[in-house]
Amino acid sequence: MIQRSKYKDILGLNRRNQEYVRPYNSPSAKRLADNKIRTKKALAKEGIKTPEVYKLIRNKQQLKFLDWESLPKSFVIKPNQGTGGNGIIVFYGKKKGELAWIRPSGDIMTKNDIILHIENILDGRFSMGNKKDIAIFEERVKTDSLLKQYSYKGVPDIRVICFNGVPIMAMTRIPTKRSDGTANLHSGAICVGIDIATGITTYAMQMNTSSLLSDTYEDIETTQDLRENKPLRGIHIPDWDNILEIALKCQRVSKLGYIGVDIALDAEHGPIVFELNARPGLGIQVANKAGLRWRLEKVKDIEVGSIKKGIRLAKSIFGGEVEESIETISGRKVVTINEKVLVYHNTTKGKKEPEKEVGRAFMDTGVLTSRISEAFANRVGLISTTKYFNSLNVPKKFNSLKDAQEYIDNNVKTLTLEENIKRVAKIVDGEDVKVRPVVEVKVKISGEVKDIEAVIIEDSEYHLIIGRDELRGYLIDTTKTFRN
Amino acid sequence: MNYSPFTDWLIQNGISAQTLELLVATTIVATIVSIFRYLFGTRSYGIYAPIILAIAYSFTGLKYGLSITLVVILISLISYSVLRKIRMHYITRIAINYCLLAIGLIAFIIVIKKYGLGLENISNVPALALISIAGLSDFFIKQFVQKSLKTSIMTLVSTVIVASVGWFIITRDYVSSYVINNLWILPLLIFVNLLIGQFKGLRIKDYFRFKSVLKEKDDDTKK
Repeated sequence: MIQRSKYKDILGLNRRNQEYVRPYNSPSAKRLADNKIRTKKALAKEGIKTPEVYKLIRNKQQLKFLDWESLPKSFVIKPNQGTGGNGIIVFYGKKKGELAWIRPSGDIMTKNDIILHIENILDGRFSMGNKKDIAIFEERVKTDSLLKQYSYKGVPDIRVICFNGVPIMAMTRIPTKRSDGTANLHSGAICVGIDIATGITTYAMQMNTSSLLSDTYEDIETTQDLRENKPLRGIHIPDWDNILEIALKCQRVSKLGYIGVDIALDAEHGPIVFELNARPGLGIQVANKAGLRWRLEKVKDIEVGSIKKGIRLAKSIFGGEVEESIETISGRKVVTINEKVLVYHNTTKGKKEPEKEVGRAFMDTGVLTSRISEAFANRVGLISTTKYFNSLNVPKKFNSLKDAQEYIDNNVKTLTLEENIKRVAKIVDGEDVKVRPVVEVKVKISGEVKDIEAVIIEDSEYHLIIGRDELRGYLIDTTKTFRN
Repeated sequence: MNYSPFTDWLIQNGISAQTLELLVATTIVATIVSIFRYLFGTRSYGIYAPIILAIAYSFTGLKYGLSITLVVILISLISYSVLRKIRMHYITRIAINYCLLAIGLIAFIIVIKKYGLGLENISNVPALALISIAGLSDFFIKQFVQKSLKTSIMTLVSTVIVASVGWFIITRDYVSSYVINNLWILPLLIFVNLLIGQFKGLRIKDYFRFKSVLKEKDDDTKK
């Protein structure tokens, strides 16, 4: 097979603009996304929460008559049509008895400083094309306690890129001291990739400020400037499916074919949409160590009916980064609870290309020794063994484990006469105590070949039941329990 | 100088050779800017700034051009850092910046005249070229305000690099004399830009930016 060039997996700016932004995002849809007030209105109609607006300042006249006393202790000022987080100021608290508010860095801005900033917003200094703009006084989102512990003061947000009704890739941006509490990657916020299937974080990066080349990132493992730094991989983002659903709803409302939705987790209100982005950046690929391009191409021609289907598709196509990532963290392999395994034929031992059977295995931490169904044992060349054992007329069940052990002690020689029978074991099957033969089979689980001891049992829904003895060193992923 | 019949005809009909040369130079630098942007991924202050800068450099010479650029940026940086603390409208602030820039440049020329510093011919620098370079201040401050000082300096450096490459190409005698006598180059440049305009591949900068993603793919045996 010809290997696809790895460069072809990555989406660059040229292609993003030509193949995705321009054809799929109409000018009117872009205008909606670029306008925070219109976005809020459109999303509210669909029941999607956005931060509450306290006040809008449209001109200097309104600024003059602003009732400063009525402003809450904490709030955010944003330019309506700002780009890239420019012009956004967060206020944490109010100075007692004064018209002055405190920023995350501890800096204090007086009423006059804020007026100046708003004048700059009105003049369009932070807006696309320097057009006149509107200043928004908005609720400060209070971060959900889980993500709060990773962030320096500000609000971490979750960016989900959606295309054609399917969530494609996600990351979370975590404010740091260096970024002065903003989730802006260029100012030094941390970006962490998120596995689409599970909502578990994968790789973490931070922009390299010492590098002369802008937009270069370095891998990091933990938060950087908190009092107690925490590992960034393996964080389980709460309410994940809901987040994906909201992102897709935003895509529907905005009519942007290719969209980046920024969502924050509010401690009280749950997921809350910050912003829609018609030209989402490409750094998300670095955070996920995966290319956007092949993902986009995969879903380009799919007809995605419902939001639920879009999420299902994304999970099955793009999920799975986490498995590898957990392996790297813990040194353990991840197996799903139902796993396809290969069992090598007993009779072909030593041959160059041994015959194999595909079997369905169930990972069962409730049993110690693995089990193999008799029918499947026959298929993998142990037919003589099962025949021999059945010919011994061992009682079908025993009253107690003690009785079974007694029987084994008395008959151990005959019971283990057949060459493949390593030993016999007493097992509890349902309510019955049984004595069954134990054989050794060569099995390939999750890419790894090993010899395992297995008790031949009479019948079972699964060809193999892998017990605790063999599961040491594995993590069992139960998310796919009900998938066939 | 001997011109090709078509160029000769143009000159006979009222277009001065210098106008022709400058117009052609503009198209060449413009194309260089688009090559740098879409093939290399170099950010510059739009397309106007590098074109004007390259042409200004062709009048001042690179040495004088770069030193004036440096002085302009230093003055803007200092003046804006002070001015940003004073409460006033944006345009008035920029206007004051230009006043300070004018004073600074006058002082600079005087100092150079007195001490030389390897720039003895500074008085021969055409005024229009000097002012064109001073215009860079506006672009510089705008990005400084909107993004950050670091971003603005990085963009400034790439703008100057692109302009210098443009300067180098348009000041080669064989280039200018060839192009002025072979004006089919103009439609060719349109075609080149059409091609670049369709280019969807990765920019050189993307290869650096996504290095870690590519590295990860190497280790990945699953795909």
